[in-house]
Amino acid sequence: MIFVATGTQFPFDRLVRYMDEWAAEQDEPVFAQLGEGCYLPRHVQWERFISLDEYTAKIKQASVFISHAGMGNIISARENATPIIVINRQADLGEHRNDHQREGLAWMGKLDGVYTATTRQELYQQLEQRNTLTAASMETESRLDELVDYVDSFVTRWHNE
Amino acid sequence: MIRFWKTGKILAVSSPGGHWVQLNKICHKLEARHPVVYASPRSQYALKKDAQRVVHNILDVSADNKLLLIPLAFQLLYLFFRERPQTILSTGAAPGVVAVFLGKYLGIHTIWVDSIANVQQLSRSGRMVKNYADVVITQWPSLSDGETVLHKGAVL
Repeated sequence: MIFVATGTQFPFDRLVRYMDEWAAEQDEPVFAQLGEGCYLPRHVQWERFISLDEYTAKIKQASVFISHAGMGNIISARENATPIIVINRQADLGEHRNDHQREGLAWMGKLDGVYTATTRQELYQQLEQRNTLTAASMETESRLDELVDYVDSFVTRWHNE
Repeated sequence: MIRFWKTGKILAVSSPGGHWVQLNKICHKLEARHPVVYASPRSQYALKKDAQRVVHNILDVSADNKLLLIPLAFQLLYLFFRERPQTILSTGAAPGVVAVFLGKYLGIHTIWVDSIANVQQLSRSGRMVKNYADVVITQWPSLSDGETVLHKGAVL
């Protein structure tokens, strides 16, 4: 099963349409979280929103996770050891307020288990080789610990003042 | 006034989606050290069933629906007096800006962790709060100015 998620803030009809057209030609089942999108796919099973537990279960079950280039899904994919393909929203198509997702693709693509696409063609190419995509290995949390310890140092200091 | 907030409690505020995921990564670790309560839009999608966490639902305000900022401000004020947080922690976006401005005014300490999704410059909401929050952290070394905006680790 391939899980597709469009994010919480804006619809991403273009991605849903790409995946619908892809699914029409393939045997692999596809499930999509549509958000508030207008395009209703015919070859893809869908829900508008699902609970966090269901969402996490879908990511775990999926052989590959397809998403807009949002950090939340990248982090969730890595935590659940599922490879993720991200495609950026485009501000000129009204898909986001700015192009930070396009700007982010370069470093996102360097993360373990994260694959990127900017066009339908690149997305289909990544999908074609989906069996070779690998998930992130267990990440080290040293950078997160540094961040948490720094935040903690202020909270503790203020509490003890 | 300051004394009123002296509970050691953290109120963690963010938009849904990536901001929320980043906030949770940080706060899951902080929960072992401090009491943490949350405020986020669409919290019905954000709750882990097994967790005993307090997540308050707030209005989903973004740059596209600025009129909702006013009722959101009242929601947050209500939460402040109900939960009495000593620290407000936010990863963005609009709800975090409102929380930091109000908290600052009321004498609550504020910490801003700018989203890792913003690589080339601080997020728009981050630029709005950077001179107001007590602590502003970027997750990218290149975005630190060495004074008001510091780089200290990252969620990834």
